Amino acid sequence: MSRIGVFVCHCGENISRTVDVERVAAQVGKMPGVAFATDYKYMCSDPGQTLLKKTIQEQKLSHVVVAACSPRMHEKTFRKAVEAAGLNPYLCEMANIREHCSWVHEDKQEATAKAIEIVGMLVERVKKNRVLPTITVPVTKRSLVIGGGIAGIQAALDIADAGHHVVLVERDPSIGGHMAQLSETFPTLDCSQCIMTPKMVDVANHPNITLYSYSEIEQVDGYIGNFQVTIRRKARSVDEDKCTGCGVCMEKCPVKKIPNKFDCNLGMRPAIYVPFPQAVPNTPVIDRDNCIKFKTGKCGLCQKVCGPGAVDYEQEDRLVVEPVGAIVVATGFDLYTIDEKPKGSMIKGYGEFGHGKIPDVIDGMTFERLASASGPTGGKILRPSDGKEPKQIVFIQCIGSRAREKGISYCSKVCCMYTAKHTMLYHHKVHDGQAYVFFMDARTPGKAYDEFWRRSIEEEEAVYIRGMVSRLYQKGDKIVVMGSDIAVGVQVEIEADMVVLATAIQPRTGADSLAQKLGISYDKYNFYSEAHAKLRPVECATAGIYLVGACQGPKDIPDTVSQASAAAAKVMTLFAKDKLEREPIVARVKEAGCVGCFACKKVCAYGAVEEKEIRDRQGNLIKVVAYVNPGVCGGCGTCQATCPSKSVELDGYTDEQIVAMIEAL
Amino acid sequence: MTQTIDTTIYAAVSEAIQAEAKRILTAGEVTAVVGYAAARRKGSAQPIVITSAVDAQKLIFTPACVNNLAVYLTKAKKEIPKSGRIGIVVKGCDLKALVGLMGESQLKREQLYLIGVPCAGVLASTIQPDTGLTSDSIAPKCLECDAHLPQGCDFVPTQTPVSPELEKKYAAEIARLEALTPQERWAYWKEQFSKCIKCYACRQVCPFCFCEQCLCDRNKPQMVDTTPRPAGNTAWHIVRAMHLAGRCAGCAECERVCPMDIPLNLLNRKMAKELKELYDYEAGFQVNDKGPLNSYTEKDDQSFIK
Repeated sequence: MSRIGVFVCHCGENISRTVDVERVAAQVGKMPGVAFATDYKYMCSDPGQTLLKKTIQEQKLSHVVVAACSPRMHEKTFRKAVEAAGLNPYLCEMANIREHCSWVHEDKQEATAKAIEIVGMLVERVKKNRVLPTITVPVTKRSLVIGGGIAGIQAALDIADAGHHVVLVERDPSIGGHMAQLSETFPTLDCSQCIMTPKMVDVANHPNITLYSYSEIEQVDGYIGNFQVTIRRKARSVDEDKCTGCGVCMEKCPVKKIPNKFDCNLGMRPAIYVPFPQAVPNTPVIDRDNCIKFKTGKCGLCQKVCGPGAVDYEQEDRLVVEPVGAIVVATGFDLYTIDEKPKGSMIKGYGEFGHGKIPDVIDGMTFERLASASGPTGGKILRPSDGKEPKQIVFIQCIGSRAREKGISYCSKVCCMYTAKHTMLYHHKVHDGQAYVFFMDARTPGKAYDEFWRRSIEEEEAVYIRGMVSRLYQKGDKIVVMGSDIAVGVQVEIEADMVVLATAIQPRTGADSLAQKLGISYDKYNFYSEAHAKLRPVECATAGIYLVGACQGPKDIPDTVSQASAAAAKVMTLFAKDKLEREPIVARVKEAGCVGCFACKKVCAYGAVEEKEIRDRQGNLIKVVAYVNPGVCGGCGTCQATCPSKSVELDGYTDEQIVAMIEAL
Repeated sequence: MTQTIDTTIYAAVSEAIQAEAKRILTAGEVTAVVGYAAARRKGSAQPIVITSAVDAQKLIFTPACVNNLAVYLTKAKKEIPKSGRIGIVVKGCDLKALVGLMGESQLKREQLYLIGVPCAGVLASTIQPDTGLTSDSIAPKCLECDAHLPQGCDFVPTQTPVSPELEKKYAAEIARLEALTPQERWAYWKEQFSKCIKCYACRQVCPFCFCEQCLCDRNKPQMVDTTPRPAGNTAWHIVRAMHLAGRCAGCAECERVCPMDIPLNLLNRKMAKELKELYDYEAGFQVNDKGPLNSYTEKDDQSFIK
């Protein structure tokens, strides 16, 4: 006979405001099998947990139901408390009467009735819970970092410095990401390259870091502590081990006029190239779409001039499998493309601003390349159309960001600050020029940020106009900017030489497909979702996967670096243990019913299903059935759903338990 | 208009089957041959398992050879494949079932010696066995047959079946049902399922119902009501249809054996149509490790999520 204890939590007022918790406890107390039921203001607090432990012992409880928040919030808390009181932790279940009830209903009468039903379901379910022994699995103390921008670099260096091996995977030919493209950085105006490139070199030289540049994630199997990651090393056409980075191939390449993506297509590069001179690794890659050898079969000049014989036209994509225990995702962002309206996208575009049509309407990153000493103009601010110095320049903020009607409602966070920086850089380089900024409001929280913004107005003479721009058009060699100044209440028209748009930050293209490979969740914009916005900001809901930088949401460099070190600390915490205790929520095969169709084996994402022979005492084979290796099983339940004869059960989620819950309704 | 269907090749096909069965049994290539033999009533046929070359002369192929013999290699007859390599006489439709069973680890290709039958069609279950084959007396499944000549067998007689283009009854009936409102369609199936007496003949005859213990016979928990009442009947037929989606290739044995004339294969064909439209998948043509419902690709239709 069960002696179930039910503890109904008020959650401050979160539950008790909408649910009559006392009535829930009174009603549930009458249910068969329930020996004790009570309500308490904060079950998760220390006195709440003490109450739970004391009651288990005093009332000799056999099972426990805590009616409170989502199990994702506090299941671990209460199972630990139950274990401390001497019960198997898996004899404790949570009834979610907060997210599933009080938060989504208003009528107290009805919400209370629903809460009673929810708890009733869990009472029936917990009766069928079995004692489950904890499973321990080894931890592979190696980490994967996806993305070689500042986020990934910082995380990789921190983990590697702690003595753990890191596999750093970068999609582009070089690490560095967006930060390597920037000229100076706010709020101190130190040169981005100067602070970034030493870190890139540290990555290249670190004995604990394996760098796979020009590579992408192909497949991810396994689970926390034991991932198997398949990485596609795209054919570089240059052998990284042989290449000395002398650069002769790039000098001799006859194709020279390919727009360089790194320079926002302002500068040109050859078909065999490194994206920028400080690239890490300093190994060129052949752009096969533009290479004469690949297009016509002739040329082959780079191979002839290469001293060490590193150029290899036959090279093919290679797949490598790396076992890792933790994964840090740091895939960064793309800038909003205002002239394009991707098919099926909710993003609408800004045709009225003529981006892509008027050559001197550029985005913020293009301005960074113009201002950069290593950029295509050597740091001079020159118009892309005619190479003249712009004397009147207009910056427009919030392009894409905070524009619900255009499809994005969030703030991109960095644009106010980088536009202020742009006005300063412009003023430093074009002394007789005038910068105007159209803005909605300036968002400058952060250490020394507001001071920096004030400086752009007070010392660097930028004119800030509060209001938005309705239209841009070319008039002669000028761009007419039509906008409004809502502070004064007048229409403004400026004849500008150049216009810079502060375009929104968006997740990388393909962020969703990577998330599907990793099994992590993402929001409607494709930003990756953290496990808890406040308390678990660097962890994914999927154990063993951590988030860093702008792939999670718009972030500036200081925030990104902090988060990278935070994620590294989380990885080190994981690696501090030799064995990982994991939930014994694993599948079990009922061999009597199994017919060996192995549908379970085919769908298992973890490779946990094996074939097992059943023999009689004489050794004759009776049949071959499925066997689930509990150390490998991820507990996803796919096999249970697939088995045609219902011969696989997931412990903790057996059909009997689920049906008991349904029948309690 | 009634069309006569030419079955004159069946006599020569029967002789070829007998000769091949005799050869492989004599040579010891197989331990048994599963095929058809004449039954007691005039013109009728029944399955037979022969183990000696002498019995090879019993084998026949006629329009009455309706059974899908694949079922003799699974379930209750599991001891047959265990005895060694088995010869089996297969029509194109039956071969699809064998192909499916290979994909589901129930049979191995090398355990089988496939004697394919060039087949223009067999008789409908409602027709007397001694009747000539016409567009009226032919089994409905044969009207939409795309496998008159089985592919990939170890032996196929040289005769070529003549198969005129005939009106497709299942396709027409599916189109009629699809044109109905969901309420009307539900009313139609509710009436059909209400006829069910839970005899499970459909389950016993189906080559894909090879579970030793059907989930519908489990009682802890009881997933499907076992008594022939509307809720349990509906549950059973929906479970059956879902379990066959992407696997059933339309041998229509379930429909043939149903004593209550429930159009079971109609439901199966509708599921097959859905799979064809969603995943461009047709069951039974090649041994698949993973059917479309057991695998995920980024190209899969996800419109149902949003």
